[in-house]
Amino acid sequence: MSGTLQISLKINGESRVLHTAAHSSLLNLLRDNGYFDVKCGCEQGDCGACTVLLDGIAVKSCVILAMNCDGHEVRTIKGLGGHDRLTSRLQKAFVEHGAIQCGFCTPGMIIAAGDYLRHDGRADREQIRRAMSGNLCRCTGYQKIIDAVYEVAAELESEVCG
Amino acid sequence: MKDFAYHKAPDLKSVQQLLTEFAEHALPVAGGSNVMVDIRNGRLNDRELIGISDIAELQGLRFSRGKIIIGAATKISEIAVSQLLAAKAPALWMAAQVFADPIIRNSATVGGNLAYASPAADLAPPLLALNADLLLLKKGGKRKLPLADFFLGVNHTALEPGELIASVEFAANARSAFYKLGLRNAMAISIATAAAAVKRVRDGSISEIRLAMGSVAPRPVRCLHAEQFLLGKQALHIDPEALAQALVWDISPIDDIRASAVYRRAMAPVLMQRAIARACGGCADEVFAGKKSADEGRAGA
Repeated sequence: MSGTLQISLKINGESRVLHTAAHSSLLNLLRDNGYFDVKCGCEQGDCGACTVLLDGIAVKSCVILAMNCDGHEVRTIKGLGGHDRLTSRLQKAFVEHGAIQCGFCTPGMIIAAGDYLRHDGRADREQIRRAMSGNLCRCTGYQKIIDAVYEVAAELESEVCG
Repeated sequence: MKDFAYHKAPDLKSVQQLLTEFAEHALPVAGGSNVMVDIRNGRLNDRELIGISDIAELQGLRFSRGKIIIGAATKISEIAVSQLLAAKAPALWMAAQVFADPIIRNSATVGGNLAYASPAADLAPPLLALNADLLLLKKGGKRKLPLADFFLGVNHTALEPGELIASVEFAANARSAFYKLGLRNAMAISIATAAAAVKRVRDGSISEIRLAMGSVAPRPVRCLHAEQFLLGKQALHIDPEALAQALVWDISPIDDIRASAVYRRAMAPVLMQRAIARACGGCADEVFAGKKSADEGRAGA
């Protein structure tokens, strides 16, 4: 009964018809079809490297059943950077703060940070740490990542208030 | 060889049809955060996966005539941001704040957390303390089951083949609270959790109390002995030693990778004190007269 099933979904704004196994994760569906900007880390929902937007909400694609995404919309970091202004600002801040070493966690980190800021996230280091607590980085020690997100959050606040 | 099939259920009628057709082989999948891990590590195989994440009737929370009703496919993040639940059912709201991590909360669901029946399910103790009922649907029928009768053992529930959790409902109780002990702040499977829901009468004595704990038994448990001990006591003058002695009869912790049984037994009364204190709107020092002197002793040492 295994075989492959057809799935229609929108990835980075483009309508795609793909084939996948009944039990595939969204992560595997994406990587099997060349979306290598989505990183495969722990594959058990712990590390956050595979974070993508599903219908505009950040999820860990390794613990999402691909077939449940039939008819839905997925955005990976490539579909956000350069297209979504907030994501681009976060990417720039990460570079400026040296918040990247090996870069493996970065796509997930930026999508998680974007999710926080899109939901009225404040320039509050404690809150930022909580918001990013589902994304692991084994290089930076987090401080520079928090600094980068804080800077963008503070800029957003001053733009709204100023 | 992994051997699965997938069927999308767009509405309640189709999910009941599919669950009846595949009976014990059927596995409803909404968020997927438990199911996907078990598929990957080989704990699950040869199942008919039923996609239920698009069923509108299973989504969302509402409040009507003092009752809170939460659809089974409601995301944990919706509970975590609900001002209504923060005010009317703080025990559940507090549990949602510390559930897994913010990204997992965006996909994990209430029904999934309960149906998986982990002894460490974070939503179970608060919902047990709030005396929640489950609405279970089956083709041609439905039944209401107290959550207290739902958990039978590790990953084992009273859900019958063909049945689906449709919603969970309970009466509002602003005097309820939750406390979780984990090894870190995010993605922590609990060492132990405690939840309390209290009603007090005018003189300050406890007229009604429900307590529950997680990760201290093969299933999330109501703490009936501790409840019995506290009934009629003054909420602000509880003897912590006597509470600890009553609680011994309610729990049966084991050694595992996260903590030893001895440590869990030592921590259980502490967590329960904190949950009760939060529920009564005070800090543990006020509610447990005995604890204050112990803390001062340590501070002075």
